Order: sequence, then C-alpha cells, then structure tokens
Amino acid sequence: MQILRKTDQKAYAKAKKLGPKGVVKILKDKGLTGRGGASFPTGLKWEMVLKEKEKEKYIICNADEGEPGTFKDKFILVNNPELVIEGILIAAYTIKATRAYIYLRGEYEYLENKIRNVIKKVKAKTKSKANIELIVGQGAYICGDETAIIASIEGKRGQPRKKPPFPTVHGLYGKPTIINNLETFANVPLAILFDDWDSKLTLFSLSGDVTKPGVYELPVGTNLRKLVELGKPKHKVKAVYFGCFGGCMPYSNINLTNENVCGKDCMLGAHTIIVVDEKHSIVDMATNVAKFYEFESCGKCTPCREGTMRILNILENISLLEARKRDLETLQELAEVVKETSLCGLGQTATQHLLNALKFFRKEFEEKCR
Amino acid sequence: MQIKVNGRKIKCDPKKTLLHILRERGIEIPTLCHQEGLEPQGRCRLCVVEVDGKLITTCDNYPQEGMKILTHTDKVIKSRRINAELLMPDHMAKCMIENKHHDLCKIIADLGITEVRFDPKKKYEVDLGASVIRDDNLCVNCGRCVDVCAEVQATWAIDFARRGHKEHVTPYFEHNLNDVACTKCGQCIAACPVGAISEREHLQEVYKVLKDETKHVIVQTAPSIRASLGEEFGMKPGTIVKGKMVAALRRCGFDKVFDTNLGADMTIMEEASEFLRRVKNNECLPMVTTCCPAWIKFMEHFYHDLIPHMSTCKSPHEMLGILTKTFYAKKAGINPKDITVVSVMPCTAKKFESVRPEMKSAVDYVLTTREAARLIRHFHVDFNNLKDENFDPALGISTGAGAIFGATGGVMEAALRTAYEFATGRTLRDINFEELRGMKGIKEGKIKIKGKEIRFAAANGLKNTRELMKRKDKYHFIEIMACPGGCIGGGGQPLPFSWEKIDKRIEAIYREDSHLPIRKSHDNPIVKQIYSEFLGKPLSEKAEKLLHTKYFKRSQF
Repeated sequence: MQILRKTDQKAYAKAKKLGPKGVVKILKDKGLTGRGGASFPTGLKWEMVLKEKEKEKYIICNADEGEPGTFKDKFILVNNPELVIEGILIAAYTIKATRAYIYLRGEYEYLENKIRNVIKKVKAKTKSKANIELIVGQGAYICGDETAIIASIEGKRGQPRKKPPFPTVHGLYGKPTIINNLETFANVPLAILFDDWDSKLTLFSLSGDVTKPGVYELPVGTNLRKLVELGKPKHKVKAVYFGCFGGCMPYSNINLTNENVCGKDCMLGAHTIIVVDEKHSIVDMATNVAKFYEFESCGKCTPCREGTMRILNILENISLLEARKRDLETLQELAEVVKETSLCGLGQTATQHLLNALKFFRKEFEEKCR
Repeated sequence: MQIKVNGRKIKCDPKKTLLHILRERGIEIPTLCHQEGLEPQGRCRLCVVEVDGKLITTCDNYPQEGMKILTHTDKVIKSRRINAELLMPDHMAKCMIENKHHDLCKIIADLGITEVRFDPKKKYEVDLGASVIRDDNLCVNCGRCVDVCAEVQATWAIDFARRGHKEHVTPYFEHNLNDVACTKCGQCIAACPVGAISEREHLQEVYKVLKDETKHVIVQTAPSIRASLGEEFGMKPGTIVKGKMVAALRRCGFDKVFDTNLGADMTIMEEASEFLRRVKNNECLPMVTTCCPAWIKFMEHFYHDLIPHMSTCKSPHEMLGILTKTFYAKKAGINPKDITVVSVMPCTAKKFESVRPEMKSAVDYVLTTREAARLIRHFHVDFNNLKDENFDPALGISTGAGAIFGATGGVMEAALRTAYEFATGRTLRDINFEELRGMKGIKEGKIKIKGKEIRFAAANGLKNTRELMKRKDKYHFIEIMACPGGCIGGGGQPLPFSWEKIDKRIEAIYREDSHLPIRKSHDNPIVKQIYSEFLGKPLSEKAEKLLHTKYFKRSQF
C-alpha cells in the first residue's frame, strides 16, 4: 500500500530544500486534495495561509474521525503515524507556524501515548522546532467540523460558526490556520518525496454487510461493485451508505468519483462505504442514522436541533407500525428544511440519507404506514 | 453597491447586514435570535431568503454586487413555517394568554400557522430566582439572553449546556440563578423574545394589601417610570405620563403616591456630602455611586477591592421607603407597622435589594414597570383618558436633579450640581453637564471645585464598567449603571427592547429636567424640611443609621 511506505523523514529535508513556495508548488503540481470530504486542493489552502500577513499562524490536524463506518485515519495512526507527524512539520515549516494541534477523536485515546512518542521521535530526527500538541476530543461528532474544532481547542463550546470567514483567514485564536484531515497530512511527505506517488490512490473504509470489512486502498473512480466484491458480501446487496452524511443509494454499477456520486444526490466524502444487503430494512437503517444525528446535533440552530429529533420520532413511529401515510409528507418536508436551512455541514447533510431513502426505497416506508 | 430585491434594484451599504437593508426597505423579515448591538449568531434560521435557488440567512450575511434576493418564495415561506412550527410545541404548551405579544407568537400568526403537528416534550423545572424567573419550557434557544449576559453585561451568569434538543440555557452546572454570580439586572428578560425569562411577580401580594383596610399602602415611582410607562398603553416612546400615572395608581387603591425623585434628591444630599468629606480627608477615592443594585451585586462578586470605594448611601427608593416609615409616619400619625411601601421600579435587581438581610428594607414590594402596567390593567383603569394629577405633597415634590437619575450620567450630574455649591458656597452657573449625557458607554469630564480639579466618569452596561474599572484611579468620582442607558433601559422596562426607544426615553427625561422650576437637590423644600425637622444635617448620626448601608464579599462563581 502506498500509505504504508516509509519516508524516514527525508521528505522534511527535501521540503526544506524546496522552500515554502516550492512545497506549495509541488503539492499543487502533484494534485493533492483534501481527504476529509470536500476535496479542496491542499496546495491552494496552504498557499492561502502562506500569503496571510499575520505573524502567528497555526496548524490543526483533524483526527476527529467521527463519521460512522470510517476508520482510515485510525489505520494510518496505527500503522504509519510517522508520516502524519512529518506532514504536520512540513506544514509548520511551510507557513512558519510554531504551534500545531492534533485533534484526536476521544475514542482513540488509547493511541495517545503512542502518538506522543512518535512526535518526539520525528521531531528529534527532523530537528523541527514546531510544537505539536495532542488534544483528545470528548466524543462530539460536531467537533469534526473545522470551525467547531477551533472553538473546542480555544476552550469554548464545540459549536460551529458561519463561514466565511474561513479558517485560512480567521482560524484558531483569530489567526490564519491550516486545517487538514489526517490522511491529507499523511500524503504530504509521500507526495513530496516519491516521484511515483499516485494522487488518485485513496483509502476506502468498507463495512456493513460484508464478510471482509476493512481499509482498502484503491484509486478514486474504482467501480462500486469491484470494491464491494472485495468485501465478499454474503447476501444480495441492496444499498450502500456513504457514511452517515454522504447519503444512500441503491447498489449499482457506478464509478466512485465525486461527480458520479453527486449525480445520485450522495457525497463520496471521506470514502466510507457501508453496505446494506436485502436482509436489512432501509427503515431500520434510516432510524439508526437519524438516531445518530439526533444525538450528535450540537443544538445551535433550530432545524437541526428540533428537526432531527422530530424526524427520529416519526421514524420510530414508522418502525413501530404506528405512523400514517401523511407522516411521510411531514418527514419529507422536515428533511428538506433541515437540509436547506441548517447552519453547518452537519445539519445540511443530516437528512440526505433520509431524502434518498424516501426517493429510492419509498415502498419500504409505505408498507409500514397505515 | 447594487442588489436586486424581489426584482427591484436597490442601492445599499455593503457594511450593513441583509436583514438591516431589507428592514430599512420596509420588508419585514421574521427573526428570533437577532438583537441589535449583539453579534449575529444565526441560530433561529427564520430570517432566510432565497438567493440563486439557495436559502441564506439575512442576519449574518452581507450584500454582494448583483445579488438577487427573493424574500417570499414558496421555498422561503415553507422553511420559515416549518422552523417556526418546530419551535412552537413546547412554547405553546405554556405560553400564557397575556403574553401573546411574544415575537414567536407574532411570527406564527403572520405565517398563518394554525396547526402544530408535534407534541410538547420539555419537562424542565422552573428556576424561581429572587428577582428573575427562568422557564426553560418556553425557551426557543435563541441565545439572546446568553449573548446579552456575555457581550453587554460581561457577567457570564448563563450559558448553554448539553447538546442537541437537550441543549438549554442555564447557569453553570445547572445551578439555580440564586446560587450563582448573577447581578439580577434583568437584561436577559429584555432580550428574551418568548417570555421564557421574566421578573418574579409580586402583584398577588400587592393585590392582597390593597384589599386590607388596616394597611396604609403607599406607592412610589422611580424617575424613569414616567418616561416609559406610557409605552405599555400604546403611547409613543418618550411620552411623559407623570400625571396620568399618579392618577391611575390612585384609582388602583393606593392611599398615597410618592415620588422616588425625592429619594433621589436625598441620595444626592448624602452622596455629595460624603464625596466632599472623602475629598477633604483624602480617603478612598475614587468614590463610586451605589444607586444601582445590579452594579452592587456585580461588585460584590467580582470587585472585592472596590468595597471601601463604594459610597455607603442606600438607593433612592430605599431612602424614601425608610423616610416614609419614619419621618412621614410620625408626621401623619400612623403606626409604621401599618404602612406598606410599594416601589415601582424599572429594575429587577431592586427586587433582590429589598430582600437583602443587611438592608432591613423599608420597601415591602417592588414592582417593575411592566407589573405596574399589569396592575393598572387589572383594575380596569382607562389609563389613556385619565386627567393629570399630582404626587402627594408630603413626600412628593422633587427636582430636575432627581428626574435625571433615570438616565446614565444623571446621578453624577445631579451630585455635581450639589457638591459644587456645597463646597464653594457659590451658585453653579451652567448646571447642564453635556459631557455626561448621551448613550456612550463610558463618559468622562472634569470640573474645578475650590481650585482642585475633580475628574469624574460614568459608565453604563457592566462590560463598559469592567473597562472603566481598569483605569479607575484616574478619577475622583465614578457613576455606574448596570443597564444600557441607565435605569431607562432597565430589565423591568416595557418590552421589546430597542436602542431607539432608550434614546427617546432619555430625551424625555432631560426635557423634564429642563422644565422643572427647581433643578438642584439642595433647593428642594421637602429635603430642607426633612433635614431641619428630622435628620439634622447630611451624614448626621441619624442619617447614617437610616440612609446608609454596607456591602459584602460574594463568591465569583
């Protein structure tokens, strides 16, 4: 696997030779894009922060991998953490930041000591003076949102705020800040050091109704069937979920690129695939996902706070065979309004799965309604 | 910059929010979480409009060149209706009939929602504070109270706790308001668009004493009530309703209506004398005024080192209360035990002040302006058509100095008018201290008294107070009012809160001052009479005993 290649911290030395502008250029040329879900070009993001005239700048590594069914960051942290630290140090060198933060998912607390040791080791080897602080989150999904991470690190309530201003301009403590996903940072040294680094190769987290779940490294654009077959499903596959926020769609023969998936009103996001086979009801899946969002909504804005709760109530009623057909209309309306009017990414994507389920699997819902 | 709103071209200022621009053009956009002067949070999501097929909030977005805004498309109305409906179930279950003027209830009516499809869920206990009551069941999590407490008052008594639909406003660790560092200023009440926070009502008790034949019930009204009470009866902000107010209160059954402005004059006599004594002996300067009970509580929590700097004078209504039960009781030949004193104040902190144990308060019940209006409506008094009447002369003649107590900087101005003449024995030629007037957060100035330069400052809003206290040693005399604009913007004043209203009320108060025949406290004939017949002179032993108090240290938490 490409992500398991060792660099022995030679990429940092090369980055120093290239200079900040050289690093930005090489990242742009090689086409590294963010792996957190938005696929924003990494070189461009770093360039934006580099151009800011503030003296103090920060780096945040988003390791708050809270998306259900996603475990690629953990895979990297367990198997090749040096890469991540080196990537962060390169970023620190590039924008002359003296302080970087790793925001680690609360559930990955057991990796804390390991990461601290790696930080020490890599820092000693590269002789970088940047401080890397490890912050263990307290288990809130919303703290995967970049503005919520900033609030959390600042010691405030982990709640998102409106963008713009973007963190590249007004980030941690109001200073320009690079926030990248952990996998992005891990790819930085690889992209800089190896000429044969393939920007298309990415990590897919495959789980659900498959007998061989796990992390698969495949190029973007791989056919969905090929990926799911690798997981060896037992029964006939009915649908796939792209994590919780990516929405769901019927199992079909599509190539997994952002454009293709968006065409189905889904989002590829962090390359999470949850497989659902015919033995499972989509209503149950929808209820489960709705429960997740009801629990993880931060409570800041009305549609997400109240809407997710009411959606869950209706879905639970449907599962209990107590709902009426007109409740489906309410469900549809609620899901649309939550999507359209929520403040942050969580709310805006919280009901995509439901809208798609109502579109593609409406029959399953109607069968359970009076 | 030019944008298009519903197809019409509009020129606009790029620094104003879309909400501001649209409202200026007469397009009403519903919103719950927006309050002028506070950072927009974008919580309620009711203020959405459609731009290029997408919904955006107007409270926290700014215009961009060529933007095409549609304010009332089906999509906009649908999302507003659903979001309002989502907020409604719990609120509706407890919203009282009288409070139907809540912003939320109005929005619901405007959107034409007749059916709410969801059941109420919240089961919070009501937090019964000494002066502020919070009912989380009515709350719609707009966050205005939290923002006011933090951004305007810098007190941080309340914030959100928990998440998702369990998120609710609470003091830290879900304590009660009584147990935390809350100043009781009531600005959260003024900010609340749904009446989830309100004053601790004392109306029932007042109705009871009014019925009691054996009680001699006396009411006194604060300087700022006459400038704001009219709003409750549909009059324009800034209408002075002194005569109607007195007449209405008599109709409600009060035996005597006294004027707290006289108490203010008494406060000035004591405070100015105390200040001059401190300057003479050079002890503990700057001296800080103590008319504002919210400020006192704030100081007791956060500024322990200021205790010796605080004037020991009680607040005006407490002074008048004790004078009613001593001076007036003796003159009228009534047993003080049979006298009940009710104060109508623009303030919720005064409710707490009147139950302070060390105060041994002579005031039995404190009503806010809103409660007073409810009281008048309770007795079905036709307020708008009443003929003007005068305060009862026994303790009802006051000066312009007392009148301006209601506005920020007023206490200082009144005190300086008297202090100057006390110290020099000469008449102060220009008694208008323009530098102390207006809505600025911190105002300062200086005056020469007997060759010594006296520097003074006045702050309104507790955040500004924190600023001022950083450089307090520069001054000799400091006035603090906890609420924006002073008592005129108090937590007990008619709702809803707006800066414009406060401006109008302040204007009215200064107009009142300039029209009054006597404008200095020491020229007040009743004040003179009280001192000559009863107290002797300012700061006499008797005055110290009756009109002064002390302060305590409280925890910061």
